[in-house]
Amino acid sequence: MRPLCLHLPVSRHTKGGARIVAEYNVLIAGVGGQGVILISELLGNAAVRDGINVRGSEVLGMAVRGGPVVSIIRLGSDVYGPLIPAGKGDILIALEPSEALRNSTHLSPSSKVILNTETTVPFTVPLGESTYPAMDEIIARLNKVSSEIISLNAREIAVEAGSSLSANIVMLGAAFGAGQLPIKLDTIKEAIQAHFPAKLATINIKAFDLGYQQSRVHHQ
Amino acid sequence: MKELTVGSDAPGERLFLLGNEAIARGAIEAGVQVAAAYPGTPSSEIMETLAGVAQQLGIYVEWSTNEKVAFEVAFAASLSGLRALASMKHVGLNVAHDAVMTASYAGARGGMVLLVADDPWAWSSQSEQDSRYVAEQGYLPVLEPSSVAEARDMMVDAFRLSEEFHHPFMVRSVTRISHGRSDVTLGEISKERRQGHFAKDPARMVFTPSGARKNRPLMIDRFNQIKQAVDTFPGNHLELKNGARLGIIACGLSYSYTREALKWLGLEGQVSLLKIGTPHPLPERLVKELLEAVPEVLVAEELDPFVELHVKAIAGGSNIRVNIHGKDLIPLVGELSTRLLTEAIARLTNSRLPIDFAAIDKLGAELAPLLPARPPTLCPGCPHRASQYALKMAGKRVAREYGQDAEAVYPGDIGCYTLSYLPPIESMDVVLCMGASFGIANGLAHVLDTPVIGQLGDSTFFHSGIPALLNAVFNKAKVTMVILDNTATAMTGFQPHPGTGYTATGEKTTMVKPEDIARACGVEFVEVVDPFDLKQATDVMERAIRFNGPSVVVSRRPCTIIDQRNKKKAGEETIIYHIDQERCDGKCEACIKLLGCPAITKDDGRTIIDDTLCTGCGLCVYTCPYHAILKGVPE
Repeated sequence: MRPLCLHLPVSRHTKGGARIVAEYNVLIAGVGGQGVILISELLGNAAVRDGINVRGSEVLGMAVRGGPVVSIIRLGSDVYGPLIPAGKGDILIALEPSEALRNSTHLSPSSKVILNTETTVPFTVPLGESTYPAMDEIIARLNKVSSEIISLNAREIAVEAGSSLSANIVMLGAAFGAGQLPIKLDTIKEAIQAHFPAKLATINIKAFDLGYQQSRVHHQ
Repeated sequence: MKELTVGSDAPGERLFLLGNEAIARGAIEAGVQVAAAYPGTPSSEIMETLAGVAQQLGIYVEWSTNEKVAFEVAFAASLSGLRALASMKHVGLNVAHDAVMTASYAGARGGMVLLVADDPWAWSSQSEQDSRYVAEQGYLPVLEPSSVAEARDMMVDAFRLSEEFHHPFMVRSVTRISHGRSDVTLGEISKERRQGHFAKDPARMVFTPSGARKNRPLMIDRFNQIKQAVDTFPGNHLELKNGARLGIIACGLSYSYTREALKWLGLEGQVSLLKIGTPHPLPERLVKELLEAVPEVLVAEELDPFVELHVKAIAGGSNIRVNIHGKDLIPLVGELSTRLLTEAIARLTNSRLPIDFAAIDKLGAELAPLLPARPPTLCPGCPHRASQYALKMAGKRVAREYGQDAEAVYPGDIGCYTLSYLPPIESMDVVLCMGASFGIANGLAHVLDTPVIGQLGDSTFFHSGIPALLNAVFNKAKVTMVILDNTATAMTGFQPHPGTGYTATGEKTTMVKPEDIARACGVEFVEVVDPFDLKQATDVMERAIRFNGPSVVVSRRPCTIIDQRNKKKAGEETIIYHIDQERCDGKCEACIKLLGCPAITKDDGRTIIDDTLCTGCGLCVYTCPYHAILKGVPE
């Protein structure tokens, strides 16, 4: 029988520094156009560079035209499937508060939430077909299902870094600042550098650093 | 750091790939020389990936006008001795069905692979459909990968096997493979490039009744040889555990979920496991071996109980006494998951669930009413919104004359514009499948006494709208057929089509105009409008509906995403709109209620235009009774 590629010997590929993990589940949630998929691509590319086994999935197509977008990245030697089993999420990177809530059933009591406080209100709210929950309610509910919420206004920080379009990278930085992602800092930065043309790379590295610092400050 | 791509000849290197990229990579490694497809989620990125490396690697890649043509193009290459791939989504296979069914009679010369991506939970489809039944009907062997990495492996296998057995092979993907992601270790790229040669053999290639009778036994014979071979195919694998009471037969992706579920339940090593990589034909020897070894079996597979029924038949035919479970414990609707497998296995083994799923469900039920509905919607500035608005106004004006309660009926089609069935636009009454808007409109016109207005997009028109348009002329159906021409296959990611003037690999080609086709088909009323000139567009549509005979309106305006990209490239400024708060009363909300544009929203009781979302289409200006919507930014 040929190897099924399910038992990749992680240790053999691991370069110094990256932590060897059995299973670490990242859920990235937001709205079409916020750059959810890019976060998962960067995480995946960095994981490969660090020699970490990586699986994931996303939903595209009809689901993207203004609808919710969820992307999954799973790291570690015990990971086989493309989906996070209910209740096994380790970190939720939420680019939109109500989408954080929508995906909170995936979380485990020890999980962390990185929350962008900037809302994107769907058109059904001004149409009077639905209501948008109050931020206090969102935070209270997320508190019940996670160990820590790190909230920040990613757009404002991104503007500080040089472009509001880098809000997703601010969130990625904040996720690393939370201190559990098994990917090396240098490696994720290499992945960011490799993805963007030089000028945008500088802005995005700054966005990453600012998000990271914000998260560290929150932590202390 | 050297940048690797999906086209790099770098055996042993690891790359983080989308499932569809891994599938394309497998085809590249196998030395595919011809690849054709019609876009459809979740399969589109396969051909996009191949188009991206076509020139570098010497592969002929095309976006065909529909899946049937795509299959025929690829199959012709196989008959000429080249390795060829056709890829499509499950419902695309229905379009290609006729050609596929007889292709297996003819067999393959160069390796012929048909990649079909099923869409459990219908994330972006009109139906859930299990393509393995189609494969069975056509005596097509099916390989089904358990992971993204194995999808790459199986593409290589499929080409090899197709050539070895002179028979076309299907590879079945699902959304979570095609849109899954994984690290993939690259293999070697075949450098073999064959010259096409068509060896004439009418007895095998011409399907008259006698051709069918001659070839059917040969096809069955080829299939039986494949059946003998699959027991040793590496994608099938049996792990028997001593003393196991339960055996699991896990097909394709469900194998990944099963492995995780067993680990989660702490049952690794206590359950026998048969991984199925060839659901059709099944590895019968391995299946029997498992059935004879355990008293209880669970079959796990995406969508229908295809493997389950065949396993039951094997058990019955061999008189093996064993309880076989499957869709009695795993839902028939939607995607599988580690949780669903965990629950089913826990039930059969009387194991404790690893976590309290009921509590998670309760939490989900509590959250549901708090969450704002966020349905997908037409983009701000989408020309379809303007077309729909014009169509509805025109339809209303004419329908009135058919009686007080008369309403125009709007058959719709598959594309971004399908979203206009939702409030507040609600301008599609029936949507079935690609091209059906015009076909359904034909039928309605013969039985209803009210205006019938069918509408589809440009790519859909070229795909399957033309025969129904011709039918309307031929059979004198008084229908209005609107072609929403945004010069793009927008929903699936802007793939070229005959109206765009360039091919999959970016070569310039003839730009075909839908209005020219309509005229050539004999339609006497053919007009082209710009939907952003709303008044004129509405008037033309009204005249089209009144026309005594089939009428065609082409509503042409590039997709706003393309338009914005082009403007950005050209350095052109977008002039947006704003709402003059002195004139707006903040309560009428006509702009919001009529259009549902994501750029128009509420802020502290005021109605405002979000300057980050507005693209300056100006449609909302027409809806405002107070003339409060003004061009430019407020001073």
